[in-house]
Amino acid sequence: MIEAVWAEATEILDLVHDSIIVRRMDGTILQWNAAAEAQYGIARGDAVGRRLSELLPGEPPELLEQAEAELLEGGAWEGELIRRNKAGDEMIIDVRWSIRREEDGTPRQIVETGRDVTEERANEEAVRLSDYRFRNLFEAMAVSFWEIDFNGVGAMLVALRDQGIEDIRGYLLDNIPIVREMLRQTLTLDVNAKTLEMFAAGSKEDIVGLHTERYWPPENLPVFVDSLIATLEKQPTFIRETVLLDHNDNRLNVMFTVAWSPDTRKRGVVTLGVIDITDRVSAERKLQQIQADYTHAARVATLGELTASIAHEVNQPLAAIVTNGEASLRWLGRSEPDVGEARELATRMVADARRAADVISRIRNMATRQTTGHELVSVNDVITDTLDFLRRDLQSHDVRVTFNGTADLPQVDADRTQLQQVLINLAVNAQQAMVQRGVENRRLDIRTAPIPGGHGVVVEIRDNGPGIPPDLASRLFESFVTTKPNGLGIGLSICRSIIEAHGGHIEVTNNGGACFTFSLPVQVQEADGGDLRCEKEAPATDMAGASSD
Amino acid sequence: MQAERAISIIEDDESLRLALVGLLRSMAHDAHGYATAEDFLAADEGDLDCVITDIQLPGMSGIEMMRHLRARGDAVPVIVVTARDEKRVLAEARAGGALCLLRKPFETQDLLDCLDRAFAA
Repeated sequence: MIEAVWAEATEILDLVHDSIIVRRMDGTILQWNAAAEAQYGIARGDAVGRRLSELLPGEPPELLEQAEAELLEGGAWEGELIRRNKAGDEMIIDVRWSIRREEDGTPRQIVETGRDVTEERANEEAVRLSDYRFRNLFEAMAVSFWEIDFNGVGAMLVALRDQGIEDIRGYLLDNIPIVREMLRQTLTLDVNAKTLEMFAAGSKEDIVGLHTERYWPPENLPVFVDSLIATLEKQPTFIRETVLLDHNDNRLNVMFTVAWSPDTRKRGVVTLGVIDITDRVSAERKLQQIQADYTHAARVATLGELTASIAHEVNQPLAAIVTNGEASLRWLGRSEPDVGEARELATRMVADARRAADVISRIRNMATRQTTGHELVSVNDVITDTLDFLRRDLQSHDVRVTFNGTADLPQVDADRTQLQQVLINLAVNAQQAMVQRGVENRRLDIRTAPIPGGHGVVVEIRDNGPGIPPDLASRLFESFVTTKPNGLGIGLSICRSIIEAHGGHIEVTNNGGACFTFSLPVQVQEADGGDLRCEKEAPATDMAGASSD
Repeated sequence: MQAERAISIIEDDESLRLALVGLLRSMAHDAHGYATAEDFLAADEGDLDCVITDIQLPGMSGIEMMRHLRARGDAVPVIVVTARDEKRVLAEARAGGALCLLRKPFETQDLLDCLDRAFAA
């Protein structure tokens, strides 16, 4: 009878998906259902009669004793146990134990249901590790991270769209108070430790739960607007250099990035990354300052080489003024003063004084640290002005100058003083090279031509000096490379810096002398070579002859 | 007042040339200005009392011009005015037989003294 009931019970237990093991209080296994066979890979026949703790080792005996003690006390126990199956693999089993008692209450058997949760726990662990790693990254990276709830902003954007506003960017830029309101609608959900440091915040409470308006200086609101537009257009990322304010209202040079994942986008949450680039920006500034200093020093040095002709330029009108003054005194000192003659001479004196002042202001422009800044200039005009400046010097060294400027060139976006500096440098170099080598028929030919398509201007400056030594040609524009006995080798490297800062390119070839060509694109961004190469001799007007007075 | 003298001025800078011509005219001299040495030599005025010339001129220099004058037997006194102060240039001017050397800008009295010496020669 008992056997029959037992057999029926076994049959029923086999239908249950969880493993069911019944054991005596001493651990001897009485029941082992089909699910237990499958779970542990041990047949019922091999299990029944064995002690459970020996059949499925894993946890230390003390822990099991502790668990059984709790079971006896409370009548039930549940927990996760590590067990090794037949193959020796560790498993994590979620078990529930309960006690069957005799009628007098004496504990008789322990019934265990168990579920293999090994895989589940492994997955959970993987997720936990991944969370942990993300958290670590989020906290430890040298990037300030912000989790921002954008739902309020999203609602405002949708409202704008519903109003039929198509150009939302333009609308927002015209309505900055709305942009400010949008910033007030943001909600900071979390930030990492780096954020506190970067933005000089005392604790997370100073940032989390609040909006982000305070971080945006007014002039950079367009960057925020652009990031909104990028969100609307569902671009995956947005990156922009900008300036944000920290909690002390100090300006931070940052790289501002926004990233959306489909998941966070659904929740209306964006992750902002802010990278501090202040060091990089200040290093760039310093470098620019050093370059400006060098450029200025080179300009002054070049002026030094021109002092003789500069003195002439200034002394000439002064001599005329003195002479005119003396002559007018004589006309006025006659017994019958000739006021007409005196008036004419006075008029000439005024003109000569202006001329002297012009020369001095031209020199002062070259000598001061300030350059004129970028403006639209006619390259031909700059060349003509520069040749006025150099005419005396070139003439006194018997250099014949021709300038053949192509008419109707596009104007280029350039710094006039820096352009003059390049031209003066190249012309003085040519003059010195020709004098140094004792060239007989010294010539300096300058031409301009358009870059095809109207994209800019090419300038060619050719002399008939000794040319560039072949071993120097490839390094000529580097610093401290020079062909002059006492040269520093700074001038041409600065010429290259200036031309490249204008988006252009400078090169040199030997063609009966040295021939420098440089390009100046209309806009600084696009650089392109022109069709002016030093191959062919061009007909040229004789500058020196035409302009002599 | 001195008697009227014939003086030629070779100076490529127009305003200074006009100033010199004007000054000499105010002193009742007969003054002519030329922008280049070549123009002056081609005009061949003959019987000049004095020539005032710049050194640095487009084309032929004032010093070369002086040599041309001497080569054709003209001993007219030459006053050289220059804005340059390189020793080599000044030495060349003296060697070329300049009566006076004036540095721009010059005192009018210095020019008048030179002219007196030229007329006395």
